Amino acid sequence: MAGRRVFVSGVGGELGTLVASLLEAEDWVGALSGIDADPPRRRLHRTVFHRIHPDEHDRIVDTVVDFNPHVLVHVGVWEPDARAAPHAAALLTDAAATSIIGAAAECRALEHLVVRSGIEVYGRAHGALTRPDESAPVQPTSAWGRTVAAIERTAAQVGERVGVTVGALRLAPVLGPHVPSPLGRLLRMPAVPFSVLADPPFAVIEDRDAARAFVAAARVGLAEPVNVVAPGAITALQAARRGGRLPIPLVGPDWRIARTLSHLLGAPIPDHVSETLHRGRLADNRLMRTLLGVLPDTSTTEVIDRLYHWPSVIRQPARVQVA
Amino acid sequence: MDSPLERVTNLTARVTRLGDEPSGTIDDWGRDPGLVRTTMHLARIRWDVAVGGDQHLPRRKGALVVVNTRRFALAPIFAALALSEAVDRPVRFVGRPDTAPVGAFSRRLGGLLDHPDEVAGALGAGELVVMGADPDARVGAGHHQLVGRVDHALVGAALRAGVPVHPGATASSPFARAARVEIGRASRSPRKRRGPLTELELADQVRIDIGLLLDEFGEVRTGTALDRLPLSGFGGA
Repeated sequence: MAGRRVFVSGVGGELGTLVASLLEAEDWVGALSGIDADPPRRRLHRTVFHRIHPDEHDRIVDTVVDFNPHVLVHVGVWEPDARAAPHAAALLTDAAATSIIGAAAECRALEHLVVRSGIEVYGRAHGALTRPDESAPVQPTSAWGRTVAAIERTAAQVGERVGVTVGALRLAPVLGPHVPSPLGRLLRMPAVPFSVLADPPFAVIEDRDAARAFVAAARVGLAEPVNVVAPGAITALQAARRGGRLPIPLVGPDWRIARTLSHLLGAPIPDHVSETLHRGRLADNRLMRTLLGVLPDTSTTEVIDRLYHWPSVIRQPARVQVA
Repeated sequence: MDSPLERVTNLTARVTRLGDEPSGTIDDWGRDPGLVRTTMHLARIRWDVAVGGDQHLPRRKGALVVVNTRRFALAPIFAALALSEAVDRPVRFVGRPDTAPVGAFSRRLGGLLDHPDEVAGALGAGELVVMGADPDARVGAGHHQLVGRVDHALVGAALRAGVPVHPGATASSPFARAARVEIGRASRSPRKRRGPLTELELADQVRIDIGLLLDEFGEVRTGTALDRLPLSGFGGA
Protein backbone atom coordinates (compact mmCIF):
# COMPACT_ATOMS: atom_id res chain seq x y z
CA MET A 1 0.00 0.00 0.00
CA ALA A 2 2.86 2.40 0.81
CA GLY A 3 4.50 4.47 -1.92
CA ARG A 4 1.34 5.20 -3.91
CA ARG A 5 1.50 8.01 -6.43
CA VAL A 6 -1.39 10.42 -5.92
CA PHE A 7 -2.39 13.18 -8.32
CA VAL A 8 -4.67 16.01 -7.19
CA SER A 9 -6.39 18.24 -9.73
CA GLY A 10 -7.58 21.63 -8.52
CA VAL A 11 -4.76 21.79 -6.00
CA GLY A 12 -4.69 25.59 -6.26
CA GLY A 13 -8.15 26.01 -4.75
CA GLU A 14 -8.70 26.13 -1.01
CA LEU A 15 -10.20 22.64 -0.89
CA GLY A 16 -7.55 21.19 -3.20
CA THR A 17 -4.76 22.70 -1.13
CA LEU A 18 -6.27 21.27 2.04
CA VAL A 19 -6.58 17.84 0.43
CA ALA A 20 -2.96 17.95 -0.71
CA SER A 21 -1.69 19.07 2.68
CA LEU A 22 -3.60 16.25 4.42
CA LEU A 23 -2.35 13.72 1.83
CA GLU A 24 1.22 14.83 2.54
CA ALA A 25 0.77 13.57 6.09
CA GLU A 26 -0.46 10.13 4.99
CA ASP A 27 2.15 7.37 5.24
CA TRP A 28 0.68 5.40 2.33
CA VAL A 29 1.27 8.29 -0.07
CA GLY A 30 4.59 8.22 -1.90
CA ALA A 31 4.84 10.83 -4.63
CA LEU A 32 2.27 13.61 -4.74
CA SER A 33 1.60 15.90 -7.67
CA GLY A 34 -1.03 18.51 -8.40
CA ILE A 35 -2.36 20.71 -11.13
CA ASP A 36 -4.38 23.93 -11.30
CA ALA A 37 -4.71 27.24 -13.07
CA ASP A 38 -3.74 29.06 -9.87
CA PRO A 39 -0.96 28.29 -7.38
CA PRO A 40 -1.81 26.56 -4.06
CA ARG A 41 -3.19 28.73 -1.26
CA ARG A 42 -0.56 27.59 1.25
CA ARG A 43 2.87 26.05 1.28
CA LEU A 44 2.95 22.40 0.28
CA HIS A 45 6.12 20.54 1.17
CA ARG A 46 5.94 17.33 -0.84
CA THR A 47 3.52 18.20 -3.62
CA VAL A 48 4.93 18.97 -7.05
CA PHE A 49 2.72 21.69 -8.48
CA HIS A 50 2.04 22.26 -12.20
CA ARG A 51 0.39 25.50 -13.18
CA ILE A 52 -1.68 24.66 -16.26
CA HIS A 53 -4.89 26.23 -17.51
CA PRO A 54 -7.82 23.79 -18.04
CA ASP A 55 -7.82 24.66 -21.76
CA GLU A 56 -4.26 23.36 -22.23
CA HIS A 57 -5.43 19.85 -22.94
CA ASP A 58 -2.12 18.45 -24.26
CA ARG A 59 -0.05 19.73 -21.35
CA ILE A 60 -2.55 18.30 -18.87
CA VAL A 61 -2.49 14.89 -20.53
CA ASP A 62 1.34 14.88 -20.71
CA THR A 63 1.67 15.89 -17.06
CA VAL A 64 -0.80 13.30 -15.77
CA VAL A 65 0.49 10.50 -18.01
CA ASP A 66 4.13 11.24 -17.09
CA PHE A 67 3.29 11.06 -13.40
CA ASN A 68 1.28 7.84 -13.96
CA PRO A 69 -0.66 8.00 -10.68
CA HIS A 70 -2.17 5.10 -8.76
CA VAL A 71 -4.85 7.38 -7.37
CA LEU A 72 -6.31 10.49 -8.98
CA VAL A 73 -8.32 12.94 -6.88
CA HIS A 74 -10.30 15.35 -9.04
CA VAL A 75 -11.19 18.45 -7.03
CA GLY A 76 -10.81 20.89 -9.93
CA VAL A 77 -14.34 22.25 -10.28
CA TRP A 78 -15.65 25.81 -10.48
CA GLU A 79 -18.86 26.47 -8.57
CA PRO A 80 -20.98 29.09 -10.35
CA ASP A 81 -20.44 32.58 -8.97
CA ALA A 82 -17.74 31.38 -6.58
CA ARG A 83 -14.67 32.37 -8.59
CA ALA A 84 -16.19 32.61 -12.06
CA ALA A 85 -19.51 33.62 -13.58
CA PRO A 86 -21.90 30.69 -14.15
CA HIS A 87 -21.18 30.26 -17.87
CA ALA A 88 -17.40 30.53 -17.49
CA ALA A 89 -17.52 28.22 -14.46
CA ALA A 90 -19.38 25.56 -16.44
CA LEU A 91 -16.89 25.78 -19.33
CA LEU A 92 -13.84 25.62 -17.04
CA THR A 93 -15.25 22.70 -15.05
CA ASP A 94 -16.10 20.78 -18.20
CA ALA A 95 -12.69 21.44 -19.77
CA ALA A 96 -10.84 20.38 -16.61
CA ALA A 97 -12.96 17.26 -16.09
CA THR A 98 -12.61 16.11 -19.69
CA SER A 99 -8.84 16.65 -19.78
CA ILE A 100 -7.97 15.26 -16.38
CA ILE A 101 -10.31 12.27 -16.25
CA GLY A 102 -9.47 11.58 -19.89
CA ALA A 103 -5.75 11.70 -19.09
CA ALA A 104 -6.28 9.42 -16.10
CA ALA A 105 -7.73 6.81 -18.44
CA GLU A 106 -4.37 6.73 -20.24
CA CYS A 107 -2.40 5.93 -17.08
CA ARG A 108 -1.50 2.25 -16.80
CA ALA A 109 -0.88 2.39 -13.05
CA LEU A 110 -4.23 3.99 -12.25
CA GLU A 111 -6.25 1.98 -9.74
CA HIS A 112 -8.63 4.46 -8.27
CA LEU A 113 -10.40 7.70 -9.12
CA VAL A 114 -12.10 10.07 -6.65
CA VAL A 115 -14.18 12.93 -8.02
CA ARG A 116 -15.80 15.91 -6.34
CA SER A 117 -19.54 16.06 -6.77
CA GLY A 118 -22.33 17.74 -4.84
CA ILE A 119 -25.67 16.95 -3.23
CA GLU A 120 -27.12 19.27 -5.89
CA VAL A 121 -27.23 16.15 -8.13
CA TYR A 122 -30.46 15.05 -6.40
CA GLY A 123 -32.28 18.18 -7.48
CA ARG A 124 -35.14 19.82 -5.63
CA ALA A 125 -38.06 19.18 -7.96
CA HIS A 126 -41.58 19.02 -6.55
CA GLY A 127 -41.87 15.86 -4.49
CA ALA A 128 -38.08 15.37 -4.23
CA LEU A 129 -37.01 13.54 -1.08
CA THR A 130 -36.30 15.76 1.92
CA ARG A 131 -33.09 13.97 2.83
CA PRO A 132 -32.01 11.77 -0.08
CA ASP A 133 -29.46 9.05 0.44
CA GLU A 134 -27.03 7.80 -2.18
CA SER A 135 -29.63 5.47 -3.71
CA ALA A 136 -31.93 8.38 -4.62
CA PRO A 137 -32.16 9.09 -8.36
CA VAL A 138 -29.83 11.70 -9.84
CA GLN A 139 -32.21 14.37 -11.14
CA PRO A 140 -30.41 17.73 -10.97
CA THR A 141 -32.55 20.84 -11.26
CA SER A 142 -29.79 23.48 -11.28
CA ALA A 143 -26.87 24.23 -13.59
CA TRP A 144 -24.35 23.32 -10.88
CA GLY A 145 -26.19 20.07 -10.18
CA ARG A 146 -26.07 19.14 -13.86
CA THR A 147 -22.35 20.01 -14.01
CA VAL A 148 -21.34 17.77 -11.11
CA ALA A 149 -23.68 15.01 -12.30
CA ALA A 150 -21.87 15.13 -15.66
CA ILE A 151 -18.51 14.76 -13.87
CA GLU A 152 -19.79 11.70 -12.02
CA ARG A 153 -21.10 10.25 -15.26
CA THR A 154 -17.83 10.84 -17.13
CA ALA A 155 -15.77 9.36 -14.30
CA ALA A 156 -18.06 6.32 -14.06
CA GLN A 157 -17.78 5.71 -17.81
CA VAL A 158 -13.99 6.00 -17.72
CA GLY A 159 -13.81 3.75 -14.67
CA GLU A 160 -15.90 1.12 -16.40
CA ARG A 161 -13.85 1.33 -19.58
CA VAL A 162 -10.40 1.07 -18.00
CA GLY A 163 -11.42 -1.08 -15.04
CA VAL A 164 -10.68 1.17 -12.08
CA THR A 165 -12.87 1.96 -9.09
CA VAL A 166 -14.53 5.36 -9.01
CA GLY A 167 -15.76 7.13 -5.90
CA ALA A 168 -17.79 10.33 -5.98
CA LEU A 169 -18.00 12.61 -2.97
CA ARG A 170 -21.30 14.46 -3.06
CA LEU A 171 -20.48 17.47 -0.93
CA ALA A 172 -22.97 19.77 0.74
CA PRO A 173 -22.18 23.47 0.10
CA VAL A 174 -18.58 23.86 1.29
CA LEU A 175 -17.86 26.72 3.66
CA GLY A 176 -14.50 27.74 5.07
CA PRO A 177 -12.59 30.84 6.03
CA HIS A 178 -10.98 31.10 2.58
CA VAL A 179 -13.42 29.13 0.44
CA PRO A 180 -15.12 31.25 -2.23
CA SER A 181 -18.76 30.24 -1.75
CA PRO A 182 -21.79 32.11 -3.10
CA LEU A 183 -23.90 30.81 -0.21
CA GLY A 184 -21.35 31.84 2.41
CA ARG A 185 -20.93 35.23 0.79
CA LEU A 186 -24.69 35.81 0.78
CA LEU A 187 -25.10 34.78 4.42
CA ARG A 188 -22.35 37.19 5.44
CA MET A 189 -24.05 40.17 3.84
CA PRO A 190 -25.40 42.75 6.33
CA ALA A 191 -28.94 41.84 5.23
CA VAL A 192 -29.87 38.26 4.35
CA PRO A 193 -32.95 37.46 2.22
CA PHE A 194 -35.08 34.46 3.14
CA SER A 195 -38.25 32.91 1.77
CA VAL A 196 -41.01 33.94 4.15
CA LEU A 197 -43.33 31.16 2.97
CA ALA A 198 -40.86 28.29 3.08
CA ASP A 199 -37.55 29.16 4.81
CA PRO A 200 -36.44 25.58 4.21
CA PRO A 201 -33.56 23.81 5.96
CA PHE A 202 -30.18 23.18 4.38
CA ALA A 203 -26.95 21.57 5.48
CA VAL A 204 -23.34 22.51 4.75
CA ILE A 205 -19.87 21.02 5.25
CA GLU A 206 -16.73 22.70 6.49
CA ASP A 207 -13.78 22.65 4.11
CA ARG A 208 -11.56 20.68 6.50
CA ASP A 209 -14.16 17.94 6.94
CA ALA A 210 -14.61 17.77 3.17
CA ALA A 211 -10.83 17.47 2.72
CA ARG A 212 -10.68 14.66 5.29
CA ALA A 213 -13.40 12.86 3.35
CA PHE A 214 -11.34 13.11 0.14
CA VAL A 215 -8.26 11.69 1.85
CA ALA A 216 -10.32 8.85 3.36
CA ALA A 217 -11.90 8.11 -0.04
CA ALA A 218 -8.45 7.93 -1.65
CA ARG A 219 -7.13 5.73 1.17
CA VAL A 220 -10.00 3.20 1.26
CA GLY A 221 -10.56 3.16 -2.49
CA LEU A 222 -14.16 4.35 -2.36
CA ALA A 223 -16.05 2.71 -5.21
CA GLU A 224 -19.45 4.41 -5.07
CA PRO A 225 -21.02 7.80 -4.39
CA VAL A 226 -21.25 9.02 -0.82
CA ASN A 227 -22.88 12.12 0.65
CA VAL A 228 -20.50 14.30 2.63
CA VAL A 229 -22.73 16.46 4.80
CA ALA A 230 -22.32 17.91 8.27
CA PRO A 231 -24.95 16.74 10.76
CA GLY A 232 -27.82 19.07 11.57
CA ALA A 233 -29.52 21.69 9.46
CA ILE A 234 -30.29 25.38 9.51
CA THR A 235 -32.53 27.81 7.67
CA ALA A 236 -31.56 31.16 6.15
CA LEU A 237 -33.57 33.02 8.80
CA GLN A 238 -31.88 31.12 11.62
CA ALA A 239 -28.47 31.70 10.05
CA ALA A 240 -29.13 35.44 9.72
CA ARG A 241 -30.24 35.60 13.35
CA ARG A 242 -27.20 33.70 14.59
CA GLY A 243 -24.95 36.04 12.66
CA GLY A 244 -26.72 39.18 13.82
CA ARG A 245 -27.71 40.00 10.24
CA LEU A 246 -30.90 41.73 9.19
CA PRO A 247 -33.27 39.08 7.80
CA ILE A 248 -35.24 40.31 4.78
CA PRO A 249 -38.48 38.35 4.25
CA LEU A 250 -39.19 37.89 0.56
CA VAL A 251 -41.99 36.36 -1.43
CA GLY A 252 -42.48 35.88 -5.17
CA PRO A 253 -41.27 38.69 -7.42
CA ASP A 254 -39.27 40.31 -4.61
CA TRP A 255 -36.61 37.70 -5.25
CA ARG A 256 -35.84 39.07 -8.70
CA ILE A 257 -35.06 42.46 -7.19
CA ALA A 258 -33.12 40.86 -4.33
CA ARG A 259 -31.00 38.82 -6.75
CA THR A 260 -30.16 41.89 -8.81
CA LEU A 261 -29.32 43.97 -5.75
CA SER A 262 -27.27 41.19 -4.21
CA HIS A 263 -25.36 40.79 -7.49
CA LEU A 264 -24.59 44.51 -7.58
CA LEU A 265 -23.41 44.37 -3.98
CA GLY A 266 -20.94 41.58 -4.76
CA ALA A 267 -22.86 38.49 -3.65
CA PRO A 268 -24.55 37.02 -6.73
CA ILE A 269 -27.16 34.32 -6.11
CA PRO A 270 -26.74 31.52 -8.68
CA ASP A 271 -29.66 29.21 -9.35
CA HIS A 272 -28.46 26.41 -7.07
CA VAL A 273 -28.19 28.83 -4.11
CA SER A 274 -31.59 30.29 -4.98
CA GLU A 275 -32.94 26.73 -5.03
CA THR A 276 -31.38 26.09 -1.61
CA LEU A 277 -33.12 29.16 -0.19
CA HIS A 278 -36.50 28.20 -1.68
CA ARG A 279 -36.57 24.42 -1.51
CA GLY A 280 -33.85 23.52 1.01
CA ARG A 281 -30.98 21.10 0.57
CA LEU A 282 -30.38 18.18 2.91
CA ALA A 283 -28.84 14.77 2.40
CA ASP A 284 -28.40 11.60 4.40
CA ASN A 285 -24.80 11.21 5.60
CA ARG A 286 -25.05 7.80 7.28
CA LEU A 287 -22.85 6.08 4.68
CA MET A 288 -19.93 8.41 5.45
CA ARG A 289 -18.94 6.46 8.50
CA THR A 290 -19.52 3.09 6.90
CA LEU A 291 -17.68 3.74 3.65
CA LEU A 292 -15.10 6.34 4.60
CA GLY A 293 -14.63 5.67 8.29
CA VAL A 294 -14.84 9.37 9.08
CA LEU A 295 -17.55 11.70 10.32
CA PRO A 296 -17.61 15.49 10.13
CA ASP A 297 -16.13 17.16 13.21
CA THR A 298 -18.26 20.25 12.78
CA SER A 299 -22.07 20.40 12.66
CA THR A 300 -23.97 22.61 10.25
CA THR A 301 -24.87 25.06 13.01
CA GLU A 302 -21.24 25.28 14.15
CA VAL A 303 -20.06 25.89 10.59
CA ILE A 304 -22.56 28.74 10.25
CA ASP A 305 -21.49 30.18 13.61
CA ARG A 306 -17.86 30.05 12.47
CA LEU A 307 -18.82 31.64 9.16
CA TYR A 308 -19.74 34.79 11.04
CA HIS A 309 -16.52 34.76 13.04
CA TRP A 310 -14.10 34.30 10.17
CA PRO A 311 -12.37 37.64 9.56
CA SER A 312 -13.24 39.65 6.48
CA VAL A 313 -10.68 40.59 3.85
CA ILE A 314 -8.35 43.14 5.37
CA ARG A 315 -7.01 45.52 2.74
CA GLN A 316 -3.61 46.92 3.63
CA PRO A 317 -2.39 49.88 1.62
CA ALA A 318 1.10 49.68 0.14
CA ARG A 319 3.76 51.23 2.33
CA VAL A 320 5.31 52.89 -0.66
CA GLN A 321 3.18 53.98 -3.59
CA VAL A 322 5.02 52.95 -6.72
CA ALA A 323 2.36 53.82 -9.28
CA MET B 1 -14.64 -1.91 14.85
CA ASP B 2 -16.23 -0.13 17.81
CA SER B 3 -15.73 -1.46 21.31
CA PRO B 4 -18.88 -2.62 23.19
CA LEU B 5 -18.71 0.52 25.31
CA GLU B 6 -18.51 2.73 22.21
CA ARG B 7 -21.42 0.87 20.65
CA VAL B 8 -23.55 1.45 23.75
CA THR B 9 -22.49 5.11 23.81
CA ASN B 10 -23.35 5.55 20.14
CA LEU B 11 -26.69 3.86 20.63
CA THR B 12 -27.53 6.10 23.55
CA ALA B 13 -26.35 9.18 21.71
CA ARG B 14 -28.72 8.48 18.83
CA VAL B 15 -31.80 9.12 20.91
CA THR B 16 -32.62 12.77 21.31
CA ARG B 17 -34.80 13.61 24.29
CA LEU B 18 -37.37 16.34 23.80
CA GLY B 19 -35.93 18.38 26.65
CA ASP B 20 -32.43 18.19 25.17
CA GLU B 21 -33.41 19.77 21.87
CA PRO B 22 -32.22 23.37 21.73
CA SER B 23 -34.59 26.09 20.59
CA GLY B 24 -33.76 28.16 17.52
CA THR B 25 -32.42 25.17 15.62
CA ILE B 26 -33.86 22.44 13.45
CA ASP B 27 -32.88 18.82 13.22
CA ASP B 28 -31.60 16.76 10.30
CA TRP B 29 -35.11 16.49 8.84
CA GLY B 30 -36.13 20.10 9.29
CA ARG B 31 -38.16 19.57 12.47
CA ASP B 32 -38.20 22.63 14.71
CA PRO B 33 -38.22 21.56 18.40
CA GLY B 34 -39.27 25.04 19.57
CA LEU B 35 -42.27 25.09 17.23
CA VAL B 36 -43.17 21.52 18.18
CA ARG B 37 -43.18 22.44 21.88
CA THR B 38 -45.41 25.45 21.19
CA THR B 39 -47.73 23.33 19.07
CA MET B 40 -47.90 20.70 21.82
CA HIS B 41 -49.08 23.38 24.26
CA LEU B 42 -51.66 24.63 21.76
CA ALA B 43 -52.76 21.09 20.91
CA ARG B 44 -53.65 20.54 24.57
CA ILE B 45 -56.35 23.19 24.16
CA ARG B 46 -57.95 21.16 21.38
CA TRP B 47 -57.19 17.60 22.48
CA ASP B 48 -56.79 15.88 25.81
CA VAL B 49 -55.02 12.77 24.61
CA ALA B 50 -54.64 9.62 26.69
CA VAL B 51 -51.79 7.49 25.34
CA GLY B 52 -51.53 3.78 26.05
CA GLY B 53 -49.31 0.97 24.87
CA ASP B 54 -46.31 3.21 24.21
CA GLN B 55 -44.19 0.69 26.12
CA HIS B 56 -44.46 -1.53 23.04
CA LEU B 57 -42.42 0.94 21.00
CA PRO B 58 -38.65 0.47 20.82
CA ARG B 59 -36.81 2.82 23.15
CA ARG B 60 -33.99 3.71 20.81
CA LYS B 61 -34.58 2.18 17.40
CA GLY B 62 -36.98 3.30 14.72
CA ALA B 63 -40.53 2.01 14.30
CA LEU B 64 -43.51 2.65 12.04
CA VAL B 65 -46.85 3.22 13.75
CA VAL B 66 -49.95 2.91 11.56
CA VAL B 67 -53.06 4.60 12.92
CA ASN B 68 -56.67 4.72 11.75
CA THR B 69 -57.74 8.11 10.47
CA ARG B 70 -60.88 10.05 9.80
CA ARG B 71 -61.22 12.96 7.43
CA PHE B 72 -60.08 16.27 8.93
CA ALA B 73 -59.31 14.60 12.27
CA LEU B 74 -55.52 15.15 11.86
CA ALA B 75 -55.04 11.78 13.54
CA PRO B 76 -51.41 11.19 12.47
CA ILE B 77 -50.47 14.67 13.69
CA PHE B 78 -52.09 14.55 17.11
CA ALA B 79 -50.94 10.94 17.52
CA ALA B 80 -47.35 11.96 16.69
CA LEU B 81 -47.43 14.88 19.11
CA ALA B 82 -49.00 12.82 21.88
CA LEU B 83 -46.62 9.90 21.35
CA SER B 84 -43.69 12.27 21.24
CA GLU B 85 -44.60 13.52 24.69
CA ALA B 86 -45.24 10.02 26.00
CA VAL B 87 -41.97 8.47 24.82
CA ASP B 88 -39.92 11.68 25.24
CA ARG B 89 -38.34 11.59 21.80
CA PRO B 90 -39.21 13.15 18.44
CA VAL B 91 -41.97 11.38 16.53
CA ARG B 92 -42.57 12.23 12.89
CA PHE B 93 -45.66 11.79 10.78
CA VAL B 94 -46.18 10.93 7.13
CA GLY B 95 -48.20 13.05 4.77
CA ARG B 96 -46.87 16.57 4.51
CA PRO B 97 -47.53 18.31 1.21
CA ASP B 98 -44.54 19.61 -0.74
CA THR B 99 -45.99 23.06 -1.25
CA ALA B 100 -45.29 26.19 0.79
CA PRO B 101 -46.47 27.35 3.23
CA VAL B 102 -48.40 24.32 4.52
CA GLY B 103 -45.67 21.87 3.55
CA ALA B 104 -42.98 24.02 5.14
CA PHE B 105 -44.99 24.32 8.36
CA SER B 106 -45.67 20.57 8.44
CA ARG B 107 -41.97 19.87 7.96
CA ARG B 108 -41.22 22.05 10.98
CA LEU B 109 -43.63 19.88 12.98
CA GLY B 110 -41.89 16.70 11.85
CA GLY B 111 -43.83 15.95 8.67
CA LEU B 112 -42.42 13.63 6.04
CA LEU B 113 -43.41 13.24 2.42
CA ASP B 114 -45.72 10.36 1.59
CA HIS B 115 -42.92 8.53 -0.23
CA PRO B 116 -41.52 5.09 0.64
CA ASP B 117 -37.88 6.22 0.27
CA GLU B 118 -38.46 9.21 2.54
CA VAL B 119 -40.07 6.99 5.18
CA ALA B 120 -37.38 4.32 4.81
CA GLY B 121 -34.68 6.98 5.29
CA ALA B 122 -36.24 8.25 8.50
CA LEU B 123 -36.87 4.76 9.88
CA GLY B 124 -33.34 3.71 8.99
CA ALA B 125 -32.05 6.71 10.89
CA GLY B 126 -33.78 5.39 14.02
CA GLU B 127 -36.82 7.67 13.95
CA LEU B 128 -40.33 6.89 15.15
CA VAL B 129 -42.78 7.58 12.34
CA VAL B 130 -46.59 7.69 12.43
CA MET B 131 -48.59 7.13 9.27
CA GLY B 132 -52.32 7.07 8.76
CA ALA B 133 -54.37 4.36 7.10
CA ASP B 134 -56.57 5.46 4.25
CA PRO B 135 -59.55 7.44 5.62
CA ASP B 136 -61.88 5.86 3.04
CA ALA B 137 -63.20 2.84 4.90
CA ARG B 138 -65.93 0.42 4.02
CA VAL B 139 -69.06 0.39 6.12
CA GLY B 140 -69.81 -2.90 7.79
CA ALA B 141 -69.76 -4.87 10.96
CA GLY B 142 -66.66 -4.83 13.13
CA HIS B 143 -64.19 -2.07 13.69
CA HIS B 144 -61.64 -3.41 11.23
CA GLN B 145 -64.16 -2.46 8.56
CA LEU B 146 -63.75 1.12 9.74
CA VAL B 147 -60.02 1.07 9.13
CA GLY B 148 -59.07 2.06 5.62
CA ARG B 149 -56.44 0.56 3.36
CA VAL B 150 -52.87 0.64 4.70
CA ASP B 151 -50.33 1.72 2.07
CA HIS B 152 -48.24 -1.42 1.59
CA ALA B 153 -45.41 0.57 -0.02
CA LEU B 154 -44.86 2.46 3.23
CA VAL B 155 -45.05 -0.78 5.19
CA GLY B 156 -42.47 -2.12 2.75
CA ALA B 157 -40.26 0.83 3.64
CA ALA B 158 -40.31 -0.33 7.27
CA LEU B 159 -39.40 -3.85 6.18
CA ARG B 160 -36.50 -2.49 4.13
CA ALA B 161 -35.30 -0.48 7.11
CA GLY B 162 -35.63 -3.53 9.35
CA VAL B 163 -37.91 -1.88 11.90
CA PRO B 164 -41.17 -3.12 13.44
CA VAL B 165 -44.62 -1.98 12.34
CA HIS B 166 -47.04 -1.26 15.18
CA PRO B 167 -50.80 -0.85 14.90
CA GLY B 168 -52.19 2.24 16.58
CA ALA B 169 -55.82 3.01 17.32
CA THR B 170 -56.91 6.61 17.61
CA ALA B 171 -60.21 8.01 18.74
CA SER B 172 -61.18 11.65 18.77
CA SER B 173 -64.39 13.54 18.43
CA PRO B 174 -65.06 16.67 16.37
CA PHE B 175 -66.79 18.20 19.38
CA ALA B 176 -64.99 16.87 22.44
CA ARG B 177 -61.46 17.32 23.75
CA ALA B 178 -61.01 13.75 24.91
CA ALA B 179 -58.93 11.70 22.52
CA ARG B 180 -57.12 8.43 22.82
CA VAL B 181 -54.13 6.75 21.20
CA GLU B 182 -53.44 3.10 21.87
CA ILE B 183 -50.38 1.37 20.47
CA GLY B 184 -50.36 -2.38 20.01
CA ARG B 185 -47.58 -4.92 19.85
CA ALA B 186 -45.68 -5.08 16.57
CA SER B 187 -47.71 -6.74 13.83
CA ARG B 188 -46.31 -9.82 12.18
CA SER B 189 -46.95 -11.10 8.71
CA PRO B 190 -49.00 -14.30 8.90
CA ARG B 191 -46.69 -16.13 6.49
CA LYS B 192 -43.04 -15.98 5.61
CA ARG B 193 -42.64 -14.78 2.06
CA ARG B 194 -39.59 -14.07 0.01
CA GLY B 195 -41.12 -11.51 -2.32
CA PRO B 196 -43.23 -8.37 -2.13
CA LEU B 197 -46.22 -10.33 -0.81
CA THR B 198 -44.72 -9.85 2.66
CA GLU B 199 -45.48 -6.15 2.69
CA LEU B 200 -48.98 -6.67 1.29
CA GLU B 201 -49.83 -9.28 3.90
CA LEU B 202 -48.24 -7.27 6.69
CA ALA B 203 -50.26 -4.21 5.65
CA ASP B 204 -53.46 -6.30 5.81
CA GLN B 205 -52.43 -7.69 9.19
CA VAL B 206 -51.77 -4.18 10.54
CA ARG B 207 -55.25 -3.18 9.41
CA ILE B 208 -56.78 -6.14 11.24
CA ASP B 209 -54.70 -5.39 14.36
CA ILE B 210 -55.88 -1.76 14.38
CA GLY B 211 -59.46 -3.05 14.14
CA LEU B 212 -58.86 -5.32 17.15
CA LEU B 213 -57.46 -2.39 19.14
CA LEU B 214 -60.54 -0.38 18.22
CA ASP B 215 -62.71 -3.30 19.38
CA GLU B 216 -60.96 -3.10 22.74
CA PHE B 217 -61.84 0.59 22.94
CA GLY B 218 -65.50 -0.37 23.11
CA GLU B 219 -68.09 2.02 21.76
CA VAL B 220 -70.24 4.78 23.13
CA ARG B 221 -73.91 3.82 23.12
CA THR B 222 -76.36 6.46 24.20
CA GLY B 223 -79.44 4.70 22.87
CA THR B 224 -80.40 7.80 20.92
CA ALA B 225 -80.13 8.90 17.30
CA LEU B 226 -76.71 10.34 18.17
CA ASP B 227 -75.31 6.80 17.92
CA ARG B 228 -75.81 6.97 14.15
CA LEU B 229 -73.67 10.07 13.85
CA PRO B 230 -69.89 9.73 13.31
CA LEU B 231 -69.08 11.04 16.78
CA SER B 232 -67.40 7.99 18.22
CA GLY B 233 -64.12 9.06 16.71
CA PHE B 234 -63.43 5.63 15.29
CA GLY B 235 -62.43 4.61 11.87
CA GLY B 236 -63.01 6.10 8.49
CA ALA B 237 -65.29 8.67 6.99
